[in-house]
Amino acid sequence: MGEIILDVVNQRTAFPTKRGMLQAVNGVNLTLERGRTLGVVGESGSGKSVLARSIMGLLPRAAQTGPGSSVHLNGRDLTALSERELRPIRGREVSTVFQDPMTALNPTLTVGAQLIEGLRHHLGMPKRAARARAIELLRSVGLPQPETRVDQFPHQLSGGMRQRVAIAIAISCEPDLLIADEPTTALDVTVQAEILDLLQRQVRERNMAMILITHDMGVVAVRCDDVAVMYAGRIVEQAPVRELFQRTRMPYTAALLSSIPRITDGPHRRLDAIGGRPPDLIHPPAGCAFAPRCKFASDPCQGVMPALEGDERHRFACHTPLQVEAVA
Amino acid sequence: MADIAAHTKSAASQSEAATQDANAAAIAAFEKRNRMGPFMWLPIIWLCIVIALALFAPLLGLLPADEMDFMALKAAPGAADGHLLGTDHLGRDLFSRVIYGGRVSLTVGFAAPAIGVGLGLILGMAAGYYRGWIDDVVGIAIDTWLAIPGLVILLLFAVVFGGSLFMVCLSLGLLFIPTAARITRAATMKYAGREFVLAARAMGASDRRILVKEILPNVIWPLIAFVLIDIPIAIVVEGALSFLGLSVKAPTPSWGGIIAEGREHLESSPHIALIPTAVMFLTVLSFNLVGDTIRRRMSDVREGAI
Amino acid sequence: MRFLLRRFQRLVIVMAAVTFVTFILVNVLPGDVAYEMAGMDASEAEVAEIREEIGLNRPLPIRYLEWVGGVFTGDWGRSFINEEDVWHAITQRFPVSIELMLLAQVMALALAVPMGMISAYRPDSRADRIIAGVAFASVSMPSFMTGLLLIYFFSLTLGWLPATGYEPLSAGLWANLKPMILPALSLALVEWTVLMRTLRAEMIGVLQEDYISLARAKGMSNARILWGHALRPSSFTMLTILGLQVARLMGGTIIIEQIFGIPGVGRLLIHAVYTRDFIVIQGCVTFFALAFVLVNFAVDIAYAWLDPRVRQGGKAHG
Repeated sequence: MGEIILDVVNQRTAFPTKRGMLQAVNGVNLTLERGRTLGVVGESGSGKSVLARSIMGLLPRAAQTGPGSSVHLNGRDLTALSERELRPIRGREVSTVFQDPMTALNPTLTVGAQLIEGLRHHLGMPKRAARARAIELLRSVGLPQPETRVDQFPHQLSGGMRQRVAIAIAISCEPDLLIADEPTTALDVTVQAEILDLLQRQVRERNMAMILITHDMGVVAVRCDDVAVMYAGRIVEQAPVRELFQRTRMPYTAALLSSIPRITDGPHRRLDAIGGRPPDLIHPPAGCAFAPRCKFASDPCQGVMPALEGDERHRFACHTPLQVEAVA
Repeated sequence: MADIAAHTKSAASQSEAATQDANAAAIAAFEKRNRMGPFMWLPIIWLCIVIALALFAPLLGLLPADEMDFMALKAAPGAADGHLLGTDHLGRDLFSRVIYGGRVSLTVGFAAPAIGVGLGLILGMAAGYYRGWIDDVVGIAIDTWLAIPGLVILLLFAVVFGGSLFMVCLSLGLLFIPTAARITRAATMKYAGREFVLAARAMGASDRRILVKEILPNVIWPLIAFVLIDIPIAIVVEGALSFLGLSVKAPTPSWGGIIAEGREHLESSPHIALIPTAVMFLTVLSFNLVGDTIRRRMSDVREGAI
Repeated sequence: MRFLLRRFQRLVIVMAAVTFVTFILVNVLPGDVAYEMAGMDASEAEVAEIREEIGLNRPLPIRYLEWVGGVFTGDWGRSFINEEDVWHAITQRFPVSIELMLLAQVMALALAVPMGMISAYRPDSRADRIIAGVAFASVSMPSFMTGLLLIYFFSLTLGWLPATGYEPLSAGLWANLKPMILPALSLALVEWTVLMRTLRAEMIGVLQEDYISLARAKGMSNARILWGHALRPSSFTMLTILGLQVARLMGGTIIIEQIFGIPGVGRLLIHAVYTRDFIVIQGCVTFFALAFVLVNFAVDIAYAWLDPRVRQGGKAHG
């Protein structure tokens, strides 16, 4: 077992709304070791992005974190730290790549300024050294002509190049954990693979841990070591990739798997292939949140919330799990 | 394993209760923001007092606003008998001057926006409904109008038309036309293409009928919010005009006029200028506060409806 | 380019309309300048004679065209009261008004930017509400009242700053600025609220942008996020308003120049109004309108130029 970088215990995050509290993340437990990539999968609204932001401590002010929630990064509980105490950790120990590179870079600052800022702040580099390092980083993420690009504004770059810049910013201070929140959703299909390759290579070279948030089971299959499937703010199935794909237990996971886009599908196909609507997170059903959409649902599914059970390798929350043949 | 499950379940039911509490708290917080506080009631009370005093001024047995008391020139508030707020440099009773001045300010405050928004409504509906040359002419007229600072227009009108209350209301009202016309035009254009208007037209309704029955009820709402903003503006601008001596003619008191007179004696008797200043400030502030609250509620209601 | 051409076309039509309407207004009405010039107890015959003399009896359109022709050649006519050349009178006083307006804008910005930032940082917080309250009070206080109160406190009571007067820049920077502070502040205390609200509204939006989250994710301090990351993308609308406010400021300077005895164009206009010196009124109104229209024109151009996203024809969000 490798060094544990991240340990999330019973994370609960809620937002007040006009209709009541919206329970976006509802009791999530996760651990992540150095060098491994965890895929967090789910439909939009399943709470995966809120989970990512909860780990970073980047929630909107109105958000409420449940009592008993904790996020340990390198052994330190981030939830116990103040905003000021978090600053030296953010960007240095944990950093993030957002979904849409169009909005994730400041339109009024040059690429260089946005890169150099972190280097100077965290590593205390002098201006010139930081600039040289910035160019080097841009080169390492495969940005052509980094010497000129460094002085350009984001709108002068293509979407794929911007995401490369965003990755350069994320890895600039050698963090231990990288959280990539659907880093390719907003990009052209042609560059998606390149960006994922880049992320994977950087994680391996720098021996980081990565949480890769996605709605695409196809991406998970190729890029991740472990998978956590989220539904209605909870993890409903969790296992190493091969195990999950071969011995799927939770019907929701199965539904996700059957919606992996095939070559024959058009681009940008989302997971709306699953029938029915996502659950109401303000007044969640008493039982399994997936029950209304599940063809295997029985009486206990409606009334009792299934717990996340199973062995060390493979956990799932389901009263009527799919049967798997005993394969060696 | 069963242990863990039981534990999780009881935790779930606990958390459910907590969720319900949190729900109630969140909803209460949202409602609290919409509740009327003292910043709604105090301005309303003040406005009621000011409007009532102005309305019933002749019945209150006040001293005539232009009667000079040579025994009490520049008397401070309470210093001379019978002069509650003191007197000005000519010994005129400030209390009655401020009240009578309020009649001018409030008349202008209500009349000018009404005139302006009314005319703007007609122009805007005509431009937005008929389009074509009417739209062009109205557009250029509005642009022209907006190309001159408002106060300059008013100065011009003051020179040209003199200082009757009616002319002040009218010329000030003209200032409110452009924005009202623009809002109406945009709204009219939006509704003119809607199904219910097309249906009415298909059934042979006349243009006038369509404008009055179908379009007017829809475009008038944003304008009402607009009137609310205009009232304090009208009062302020009238104040500025009369401060410059270009509103109603001299013996008739008006807030701006009293302030201008008091300005000459600011050093020796500051109360002459400061009392009408305070009254006018509170009145304008109250109109702003009330208008803002009503406007916010109206937009809440309309957002909720859509 | 076509956009500019169309704006320019409109500008010409508007200016023609403004000057023409003004011309008719100041000329058709009774109580014209001839009475003023003839004096209190002149007979109708004497007034008529003066009319004839200064050409008031010729047809209006011809006089208008003559006057317009003059405007283009720099001949804006001469004051009937003191024979002063109108163009000269305006251009001589204009820099004073400009200084007043600039100073007022700078003060308004100096108030609006930090206040708007504090408000936007925590919307609905106590600080936000206090600032909103102060802004509300501030906007309910027209500049002539503010001016009066400032004179009362800072000149009469405390004796720190002069109540009236003007010193040219040649008398020294401080001598020049000193009497300008209160008048500029009177204007700024009304204008800052609009700027503050605009900045607040836009910054609240910007602070929810991903790139602000990213700056937080990089571990940047709040001050750095607000000033370094959020201010610039939040200020486009505010800058537009800043330009548009010039119009309101022009109105404001008229009164403020009067109160503080500052020899600017506003005071020239008021004086002309009091004496019904119509050629000067005509000149001032034309000048104000022209200045206003040109400022708006400039703002339109500046806006497109300022925002790199607009420049590139990309999507602008806000």
